[in-house]
Amino acid sequence: MILLQNARIASENSPTLLESDVLIAEGKIQDMGSKLAIPEGARVIDARGRILMPGMFDAHVHFRAPGFENKETITTGSEAAINGGVTGVVMMPNTRPALDSASAVDAVLENARHRARIPVYTSGCVTKNREGKELAEIEGMRELGVKMLTDDGDTTADPAVLLRAMQYATEFGMFFASHCEVPELAGPRALNEGVMSYRLGIKGSPACAEEIIIDRDIRLARAAGAHVHIQHVSSKLGMETIRWWKSRGDVKVTAEVAPHHLLFTDEHIGDYDTNYKMNPPLRTQADCDALLEGLKEGVFDLIATDHAPHTPFEKAQDFVSAPNGITGLDTALVSLYHHFVEPGKFDWDLVVKRYSAESRRLMGLPVAAIEVGQPADCLLFDTEAETTFTKDFMKSKSQNTPFIDQTLKGRVDMVILGTEVLLER
Amino acid sequence: MARKDLLDIASLHREEIEFLLDQSTSFKKLFTRSVKKIPALEGKSVLMLFYEASTRTHSSFEVAAKRLSAEVTNFNVDHSSITKGESVRETIETLQAMRTDYIVVRHSHSGLPGMIARQTTAAVINAGDGAHEHPTQALLDAFTIKEKFPDPRGKKVLIIGDILHSRVARSTSTLLQKLGVEVAYLGPGSLVPKYVPATIPRFTDYEAAMAWGPDVVYLLRVQLERQDVQFFPSVREYHRVYGITNTRLAEISDRGLYIMHPGPVNRGVELCDAVMDYERSLITNQVENGISVRMAVLDWLTPGGDFPRQESYVAPQRANSTVIMP
Repeated sequence: MILLQNARIASENSPTLLESDVLIAEGKIQDMGSKLAIPEGARVIDARGRILMPGMFDAHVHFRAPGFENKETITTGSEAAINGGVTGVVMMPNTRPALDSASAVDAVLENARHRARIPVYTSGCVTKNREGKELAEIEGMRELGVKMLTDDGDTTADPAVLLRAMQYATEFGMFFASHCEVPELAGPRALNEGVMSYRLGIKGSPACAEEIIIDRDIRLARAAGAHVHIQHVSSKLGMETIRWWKSRGDVKVTAEVAPHHLLFTDEHIGDYDTNYKMNPPLRTQADCDALLEGLKEGVFDLIATDHAPHTPFEKAQDFVSAPNGITGLDTALVSLYHHFVEPGKFDWDLVVKRYSAESRRLMGLPVAAIEVGQPADCLLFDTEAETTFTKDFMKSKSQNTPFIDQTLKGRVDMVILGTEVLLER
Repeated sequence: MARKDLLDIASLHREEIEFLLDQSTSFKKLFTRSVKKIPALEGKSVLMLFYEASTRTHSSFEVAAKRLSAEVTNFNVDHSSITKGESVRETIETLQAMRTDYIVVRHSHSGLPGMIARQTTAAVINAGDGAHEHPTQALLDAFTIKEKFPDPRGKKVLIIGDILHSRVARSTSTLLQKLGVEVAYLGPGSLVPKYVPATIPRFTDYEAAMAWGPDVVYLLRVQLERQDVQFFPSVREYHRVYGITNTRLAEISDRGLYIMHPGPVNRGVELCDAVMDYERSLITNQVENGISVRMAVLDWLTPGGDFPRQESYVAPQRANSTVIMP
């Protein structure tokens, strides 16, 4: 039993923080109010000045198991999540073997039940081995709870294949998540095409390579009557394309944006820093500004990190050879606070709505909230403390992040899920 | 203190460039002697690490190093463990253990020489990395132009061809601009991107480019081996639209313009055969000057020790005891 006294509570419904005591017992929020009586045996925590909010939920992570456990495992990935205040995740299926069958999904979920302290969900492939040719056996995955289908990392190239998959799987209540990229235009290097790619002498990936597929996949979803979720949008015109389709109202489309696309531009790559190499690539300040606008407007339903661990050895190669992707789970919430909430660019309600509530709604899960009777799924955040993202701080098995060794304002102090205190600093 | 590495032109200061060009002039005077060798780098080792095929740059560096009395080792990529899957990083660790003094590196990946420089105590010279930089080519180009125009400020150089993929275009234009030379680009729209620096006029029409009034026309080699994607319809069309045809050579001759090319020339593509006999063609001069420029660079850099990346300018000093007598 835990009594949090004088916490400031963030919710998705109001930018105003409600100050209250919160009593948590038997895995639920039992009582809220000012000056609650201290029950016998309760652990009392002075939460004055700190913020209590629902646990975050990340709908786009790579835990690399099976097949690439040298980069991340379900255990280390879920611990990174807890470290960053995230209490639920959705894995991408680009593992080896790819998660394209009930047996592969079953193995991952079984692994997660034994090795993760938070719920770990997974998406399944659209096509067998993510090759874009034959449909994966979708219904078997659905029986195991898979809702999201994606060939993440590889766009399903043939629109006819994707359209058929949409027509088929929509009948089972599943939706499609799209990594948007025309490979022939994007080329092999994750660098925005423009002034910076010219300066660095690396073939750039034009934003239109992403925007074409955003538009294509929404059109396909409309034709199929399917729900499509556009992943990690990086460009202004991509955001505007989604905004336009949403304004029409005749297709079910949701979209996500990653913190790194809000925060960094291709200029950050500087002297070929591979910690800024990701796909879709970092674009320009105008794109960052537009994405922030889209997030505030609600064009983006959710924030997701695309947590993509790679070993130090892989990332220590030259920029061209190094793999795409950065980790995000350890750092997302603190970086969102430091760069956006603290400077007043948006409030906590947006963070809770986009990185917790809507992410769970997308997956058809109950939304976590700090309300009497709700299951305990929350975190305590200290806005005055700082976090230094040292190698030791990170719980992810890989440390390929631009935030390495940076100190940012804000700290996740405590994470509570059900009857367990998962993290306490 | 001199620099440890020469990785790009972008970070070179004008004083450093002037110093290297002056030194090149001194070294070139050696070439008329019967004994062209001096002991400046005696006891030093130079490793040639060429992951891409090269005749001119490779042999030019090798001759330059040998004229300074350095020991030259050629790292044969085809016979190395790279063919067994060894990564560049592992190769660097091996090379560092050998304590070579200089590494001259060419690689198809942009930025790779910088990575090597950060991980070795050797002085690293970028002999061409992807479409990024080729600093000694830029220096030899500038040196060649200065031989004709001792004060090149205000002169105009028109660079024609595949700007998108050309490290020569990037390095040479950056360096020439630092010397006060005006540079413009001409080429197919698919090979002269719209986002080239705004300080460089961009032409897609030959007549308009000539109306700009260049003093030097610099043809880039069409990298036919890299045309896995078709950037222009045919070599014949390229020559007609962007090449120096016989007709255009007559006009260039009338105007007294110089012609340059980094080599090797695709005859009948960038240039018609007659250019090779054109009296103001500087193509052979470029090759000759490459040796003295590379001698100056090797002599200038200071390998060894714990070298952080040098961002700030430090007044150059002559390395070792090189004395060039006229």
